[in-house]
Amino acid sequence: MNKIHTLHDAVEKFVHDGDHIAFGGFTTNRKPYAAVYEILRQRRKDFIAEGGPAGGDWDILIGAGRVKAFINCYTANSGFSNVSRRFKNAIEQGTILFEDYSQDALILMFAGAALGLSYIPVRVMLGSDLVNKWGISKEERQKIDKLPNEKYIIQDDPFNPGQKLVLLPTPKLDTAVIHVQKASPDGTCRIEGDEFHDVDIAIASKHCIVTCEELISNEEIRRDPNLNKIPGFVVDAVVHAPHGAHPSQCYNYYDYDAQMLRDYDAASKTAEDFEKFITTWGYEPKTHEEYLNKLGAGRLIKTRVVPGLGYAPKAKK
Amino acid sequence: MADYTNYTNREMQAVSIARSVQNGQIAIVGTGLPLIGATLAKKCFAPDCTLIVESGLMDCDPIEVPTSVGDCRFMAHCAVQWPNARYVGFQANEWQHGGNRMIAFIGGAQIDPYGNVNSTSIGDYHHPKSRFTGSGGANGICTFVNTVIMMQHEARRFIEKVDYVTSPGWIDGPGGREKAGLPGDRGPMMVVTDRGILKFDEKTKHMYLAGYYETSSVQEIVENTGFEIDVSHAEKIAPPEPEIIRMIREEIDPAQVFIKVPA
Repeated sequence: MNKIHTLHDAVEKFVHDGDHIAFGGFTTNRKPYAAVYEILRQRRKDFIAEGGPAGGDWDILIGAGRVKAFINCYTANSGFSNVSRRFKNAIEQGTILFEDYSQDALILMFAGAALGLSYIPVRVMLGSDLVNKWGISKEERQKIDKLPNEKYIIQDDPFNPGQKLVLLPTPKLDTAVIHVQKASPDGTCRIEGDEFHDVDIAIASKHCIVTCEELISNEEIRRDPNLNKIPGFVVDAVVHAPHGAHPSQCYNYYDYDAQMLRDYDAASKTAEDFEKFITTWGYEPKTHEEYLNKLGAGRLIKTRVVPGLGYAPKAKK
Repeated sequence: MADYTNYTNREMQAVSIARSVQNGQIAIVGTGLPLIGATLAKKCFAPDCTLIVESGLMDCDPIEVPTSVGDCRFMAHCAVQWPNARYVGFQANEWQHGGNRMIAFIGGAQIDPYGNVNSTSIGDYHHPKSRFTGSGGANGICTFVNTVIMMQHEARRFIEKVDYVTSPGWIDGPGGREKAGLPGDRGPMMVVTDRGILKFDEKTKHMYLAGYYETSSVQEIVENTGFEIDVSHAEKIAPPEPEIIRMIREEIDPAQVFIKVPA
């Protein structure tokens, strides 16, 4: 079965206004930026965003006003922006609904969803304002059908009397978008380096879009199945998007583009400069290929990793 | 010859973090200063410690300083890459272990006398004056693991009551953690600031001044702490060997990603 799509068609088919969406990757690593820019271009909006360890990916969509509710545990391009600036601004200005969980909680909520569970019991968040304060009120939650009516429920542990559990509702995701190193036309994915929470969100979502550095044949990817992380039947669309995680990192392929992360840090300080930035890098290139051409080969080559090190030495400079 | 005796408070903070790690411990490392401290610990003070990272990387040994916990610099040369959920479960299972097998470093914007830390927002939660990243891995860490807390030592940060408890410490004193449903035999061990080291009284769980740097003073610390603090146990902390400072500057953070070298 051939699931190869253009980036345009994959987003058009599987990302809709109001969707409950999760992205793969971790702050500045393997974030699906090519897909983020395509979502931006197609003007999709009103997302219920399941943030996970987020960075510029969700900050761009928040800054562009596309996110209705942001389920958050951490949002920063660590080492470049200590707190993602459009995210920070949206919460300070009260222009977004937001809910805080701990990272442990969100990761287990993804894992629970992947296991088909409607909730998952944890022992984190107790004794903190993560349980004492709700970002999104019960009333507000009842108005949004993608959100559970409760942030959590605290209960006694039925197996260990005297201990408390926090029951966390698992997200019912419409779409997961992940960027991987290798995928085959039938949707089989190979992730190199840390998989983060990507396999969980791929399994938990109704639809999964995969962008990949390399397309390899169905035969070739099966030669070493123990390296593969996602079977094809989990995936709806495979998009060949080399450097699709730029400016974030992609293990074994390229390091972050420190200059662009610094440029984004500066641009995202004000709404005006942010608009200019996403116009330059999001709207003006009509496709991911145009984006890469605008960046230029020299810039991309500079981020190539040194085999054996797994990163590009001095990439920060 | 470069001068390695002109160490800064921030370098002293990194050295203090490094000195808190013991051989055989598993240290959960975040980004920034803790990373410099943990790397220094592994190189100098506790070569048999193991570094792990909340994105699921186990037994890390980075050559170049990573900028985040998900950085490829951490992935390269680590022993095992777990899915994120596996790390979370491993950390939670510390509940059953007891003892001090693990140690972790967390930071924050505000701290109270019982070591409760805020890294979420300043002001009203829904209309904050300033919003930060959110918990990240810190809440899970402080639930199950003994912590060393890194803070900038300023009166506006050391306050009677934090605006938002992201990472519970000893809550409201003895028994506070158990009442909240947290393990009572874990909690904040130490606060390492750019002026000194604070610990928690075993009986009252209240913070006290344990030590001050040669570059600081008891008076300066009292002035920069927004609550009453016992200074009767405060001792001057030995300065770092120049060789340690050389390692930070030349080997661990030569690009000055997290620690600036004085001009």
